[in-house]
Amino acid sequence: MEAFFEALLGGLVLGLIYVAIAVGLTIIFGTLRLVNFAHGAFYAIGAYVGLVIAQHIGVGWAFVAAPIAVALFAVLLDRLVLRSFYDKEPTAQLLVTFGIALVVEETLRLIFGATTQQYQMPGSLQGSVTLGPITYPAYRLLFAAGVIVMLALVWLFIERTNYGLIVRAGVRDRIMVQLLGGNIRQASTIVFALGAAIAGLVGAAATPIYSIDPGTGFAFLVPSFVVVVVGGLGSFWGAVLGGLLIGELQSLTNLAYAPASNVVIYLCMALVLLLRPQGLLGESEVIRQ
Amino acid sequence: MKQALSRGRFVAGSAGAAALAFGSAPYVIAAPTKEIVIGLNVPQSGPYAEQGTDQLRAYHLAIDEINAKGGIMGMKVKTTEGDDQTKAGVATENAQRMIERDGAIMITGGSSTGTAIAVSGVCQQKGVIFMATLTHGDETTNQNCHKHTFRRYNDAYMSAQSLAKTLVSKYGTGRWFHITADYAWGHSVYDNITAVVEPKGAKTIKNVLTPFPGTKDFSPMLQQAQAAKPDVLVLTEFGEDMVICLNQAAQFGLTKSTKILVPLVDEYMAKGAKDNFNNVVSTAPFYWKYHAAKYPGAKKFVDAFQKRYGFPPSNGAETAYADIYIYKMAVEKSGSINAAKVIDVLETTKFQFTKEQEWYRKEDHQGVNSCLVVEGIPESQRGPGGFEYAKVLEVHDGPQVVAPLTSLACKMETA
Repeated sequence: MEAFFEALLGGLVLGLIYVAIAVGLTIIFGTLRLVNFAHGAFYAIGAYVGLVIAQHIGVGWAFVAAPIAVALFAVLLDRLVLRSFYDKEPTAQLLVTFGIALVVEETLRLIFGATTQQYQMPGSLQGSVTLGPITYPAYRLLFAAGVIVMLALVWLFIERTNYGLIVRAGVRDRIMVQLLGGNIRQASTIVFALGAAIAGLVGAAATPIYSIDPGTGFAFLVPSFVVVVVGGLGSFWGAVLGGLLIGELQSLTNLAYAPASNVVIYLCMALVLLLRPQGLLGESEVIRQ
Repeated sequence: MKQALSRGRFVAGSAGAAALAFGSAPYVIAAPTKEIVIGLNVPQSGPYAEQGTDQLRAYHLAIDEINAKGGIMGMKVKTTEGDDQTKAGVATENAQRMIERDGAIMITGGSSTGTAIAVSGVCQQKGVIFMATLTHGDETTNQNCHKHTFRRYNDAYMSAQSLAKTLVSKYGTGRWFHITADYAWGHSVYDNITAVVEPKGAKTIKNVLTPFPGTKDFSPMLQQAQAAKPDVLVLTEFGEDMVICLNQAAQFGLTKSTKILVPLVDEYMAKGAKDNFNNVVSTAPFYWKYHAAKYPGAKKFVDAFQKRYGFPPSNGAETAYADIYIYKMAVEKSGSINAAKVIDVLETTKFQFTKEQEWYRKEDHQGVNSCLVVEGIPESQRGPGGFEYAKVLEVHDGPQVVAPLTSLACKMETA
């Protein structure tokens, strides 16, 4: 029973990482209709910026610098490359973002080498806390709490600001927003930067737990895509539900029969695609377009 | 019209036949040439990329040294290279391309038993010698042994025997928990370790398999280990996977509460795990600091490597370096690049390059050489670059720890 609760807790933490990456993916897709395979690269850049800052300046600054640096990178990328692909077919978008992901991965390998690296949290956060019968690393719990706070802020942004309104409207009908005079272009840039910044921040914050190497971004991207598909393209709560579901599923499968834990998430995706193609909380509109 | 068509077909057919005959010529005719091509097939991406990249450094060092002194029997050594991505499929494609397109007469490389077994099969089929470097699973020279494949690196059996000889008096009766990479190598190590320690009284509580490759989060397995409170925790992971697993084990406090064994380690894994490798017990076939102090051949190699790259070689690099020299020795001794003649020499000759005098067993082509049991030291004591990662607890002679011939499942082809 103890092992079961531990697995639940582990699944929650893992699920929250997926949620954080998937939320970025999903708002970017919702607003820009861009299938962004470079999203894992944002995670990796954030992680490496965090690593360098944490080693040379301080862990606290890493959490500030990583999202800002990644957001700036994303804006540049958007202006220089992606802008011309917004109206192209999905295949072209897929290819160009995949290409960017490869370029970033190899550049990181060139600069930082292929070695797995990590930085340590301050001593007080390295220990573990005891919750009833469960002993769990303190930093993982803090990380989970941080992701929840961040998600709440993103939700407030989407629900309570004018930009958020454009984002939500854009998910429903992009052309109508433009016809009504919504500045979807500016909103697009902001959403793209925001999605990237989230991935960058998560990358920096997750590095003490999972370590980083140039391929890590991609390793997290793939399950996050599964999360978006399971939850429903463009849906905030879909990403949350999908992420937690996939995280728990993976964690509990690990407990029952670990070798199946990578397969099970794809099985779950296949099931969802068969039974509810728009995803658990997705709008069928998105599929039709 | 009909005649013209068939004529056209005939011409095309002849051209095709000619292309087939000449196109495939380089590997059919392994005739005396002014140069020989060696295929270097190692991972430069994926979880074992660090190990592969370091082997590549050692290959280049050895080949440049050899070419500077006139090559092998007057033939310059050329290389063709490929990144196997630690995937058996890619490794196989690389090997085929190296042999068929580039005319490689020897393939060398590794880092994973999965890729080594796959490449070994291709080389056997093509009649090309395969000097397997960093592959530690028994299968390479046991169940999947081949006439054209030679593996000098210690296998899992040797590591398990060595670990057991050193540790069983201390932990032999304890409770052991295993976390094991779910592929050929992991299974091989698990079988070997349990077979050695269980008869001495060790109790295996559980073995949790982890998906390979691609596991980034070992916490579900580590939580189970934490809850089971074992005396010994065996982490059968390699390369980057081991680094991540060990670092996460530390987050769960396991490095402090439990004796941790990692069946095989190298310089890069210890570096990646930093202080979390402190006190971890493992094995290695070669340790630059230990061997350079003991053997002139090792010193020469370590110094040259350090001079060229600015840091010492890992144990995978050492076996890559030695494999090139062993192949050179065999070609020169047989006076031929004919695979059958080279195999004859490799099966019957004792040699010494970077370790003690060693040899390959004729029966399974497993290298018989020593195995070190090492224990990690604190990061602060590891010297510049962190390459001085361990102290040597014990050295076990090859013949004492190698699998007995009677236990082998290897059925060696005759050619």
